[in-house]
Amino acid sequence: MKHLIPECEALKARLPQGFESTLVLPCLRRVQEERGYVADGDIDALAQYLGVPRVQIEEVLSFYTQFRRQPIGRWHLQACHNVSCSLRGAGSLLDRLRERLGIEPGQTTPDGRFTLSTVECLGSCGTAPVLVVNEVYHESMTPEKLDALLEGLE
Amino acid sequence: MPRIFINGHPVEAEKGQTVLQAALAHGFFIPYFCWHPALSVSGNCRICAVEVEGEDLDIACNMPVREGMRVLTDSEAVQAWRKRMMQFITLNHPVDCGICDKAGECTLQDYHYEYNGEPSVSREPKVHATKFFRLSARVLIDNERCILCSRCVRFTHEVSRSRALGIQNRADSSLVRASEDGRFEDDPYSDNVIDLCPVGALFSPSLLYRHRVWYLQATPSVCPGCARGCTVRIWHRRPDWALHALDGRQNEAIARVTPRENPAVNGPWICNKGRDLARIFERPRATQAMLKGEPVALGTAVDAARRLLEGARRPVALVSNWGSNEELEAFQRALGGRVRAFVKEDFSPAPGEPVEDDLLIRADKNPNTAAARALFGDAPPAFEDGTDLLLVWGEGLDFSRLPTRVPIICLNAYLQPENGHADVFLPVSVQTERAGHYTNFQGVVSAFEPCFAKRDSVAHAESLFAALASPPGPSP
Ligand code: SF4
Ligand code: SF4
Ligand code: FES
Ligand code: FES
Repeated sequence: MKHLIPECEALKARLPQGFESTLVLPCLRRVQEERGYVADGDIDALAQYLGVPRVQIEEVLSFYTQFRRQPIGRWHLQACHNVSCSLRGAGSLLDRLRERLGIEPGQTTPDGRFTLSTVECLGSCGTAPVLVVNEVYHESMTPEKLDALLEGLE
Repeated sequence: MPRIFINGHPVEAEKGQTVLQAALAHGFFIPYFCWHPALSVSGNCRICAVEVEGEDLDIACNMPVREGMRVLTDSEAVQAWRKRMMQFITLNHPVDCGICDKAGECTLQDYHYEYNGEPSVSREPKVHATKFFRLSARVLIDNERCILCSRCVRFTHEVSRSRALGIQNRADSSLVRASEDGRFEDDPYSDNVIDLCPVGALFSPSLLYRHRVWYLQATPSVCPGCARGCTVRIWHRRPDWALHALDGRQNEAIARVTPRENPAVNGPWICNKGRDLARIFERPRATQAMLKGEPVALGTAVDAARRLLEGARRPVALVSNWGSNEELEAFQRALGGRVRAFVKEDFSPAPGEPVEDDLLIRADKNPNTAAARALFGDAPPAFEDGTDLLLVWGEGLDFSRLPTRVPIICLNAYLQPENGHADVFLPVSVQTERAGHYTNFQGVVSAFEPCFAKRDSVAHAESLFAALASPPGPSP
């Protein structure tokens, strides 16, 4: 995380002294954006940099399910399975994903291409069901649209 | 001073107080789990809700007093709320009071009888979590019993400042955990979280399954571990519940030590050394008077000591800074005019022991240096030529540092190799066998009371000094 330090310093400058623990969350987000996940070494480095006990970083990591502790595939498929999406076919979409990728939610394909996750409401119920691929929302999904989408993902 | 009404009674609250503080200060009880007078407001347990007439219910621990507000602490709406909160808090609680050390002094147990009293409303299987999970060598956690009030976490952030505890995960999978870097292990105040925990989630391996609290009695005492002199309670078996069939030593053993709240000295806390007083007081005891290592009756030894004192022209005494105010004064009264007395440090910091900090722990590891120095000065012990008798009271003195070929009278409570080298050895009582006072480094005087009876073969130093000052002859 060394190369992120200038950025973290800029954040630090915006806070009064003694608020280092406030920086845990934004720093972890940047680490994950860069590496794709948060490694053990990142926790130690951040604890040391901010001068906070390790448990304060573990608290944040374990509270937000958005943080990952393992590397993921090139394409991260996040299927919403909350109420609206479920009512509008998230179940069969997920079945299709399982069948096509041969993995369960929480797993990564052996070739490292796809990671499948289920997530809660993405705030896009009006266009349910929703599948997020990396940072991009794919709305009003159908199994056919899914097939076409997967073809395009190298 | 805002005037508020609690259940219709006018109450003069203080500015800046919360409704909970004002109510408690005026004798109206409102239940609370997560609030603690010495910690910040967290407001997570919701059991302290009260009704403000004309408004909704809200938590009293975070409600500032307002002029004229009319608070109801026991309306039907409040009772219903409390019951629902208790049902929620106990949803996943294992209700294993039968095997829980906290039973009998558990807030959850008390509130359950007071405000709920019904079996769990959950039809789902209870969530299971780790039991006997080790937060440190001194503190274990049963996460199933934990109600996530966060008192323990806030203690490490706000009081001991090790910031060693945290809560991981979310909702019903939340777990109190210690930082992996081991800083809870090094927190010298860690055991306070055991008292702070309103339930039996945190417990000490030293007490686990050994005692039921209702068989114990708490004697007010003072920790002699350092010059702070924290006021404590020493818990031991109640005499009316003395064990007859099992090992009788259990009737005279320290079960645990807890803080005795005292704003002038230690507030509501003590350090871990204070928890471990058994390690000091339950060391092997000297119970036999001796002349040059040969056992004799106490009276014989006292008489021998008198003769030595009578014949000495330049006696020097090393006075214990573990002596109580009463003992030190008795020494001064009886022997002060006859011997040249110096204060002796019985204890210095042990290897690895925290020396001093800005919370409680003091570098002087003796309880009564202040009173001893007030009587006998603070010059270091010196032995002029011609010193012809040494009186050594207490422990921690290397006899090889004493002038050679000078007779020694030694008073000690513990079994130590030096005892046998003294010309006269007199076994004395320890703090848990007598009453007395210590003066701490700030000049605050605190009292301790006896927990156990003294054995006949051991003397109280206080009466011994008077006996030593009387002329030789058969003991009175
Ligand atoms: S362990 Fe006890 S003090 Fe700590 S959060 Fe749980 S219930 Fe509260
Ligand atoms: S701070 Fe000193 S007096 Fe207080 S409990 Fe610790 S050792 Fe005992
Ligand atoms: S339920 Fe899926 S976006 Fe809201
Ligand atoms: S005591 Fe007020 S919310 Fe816990």
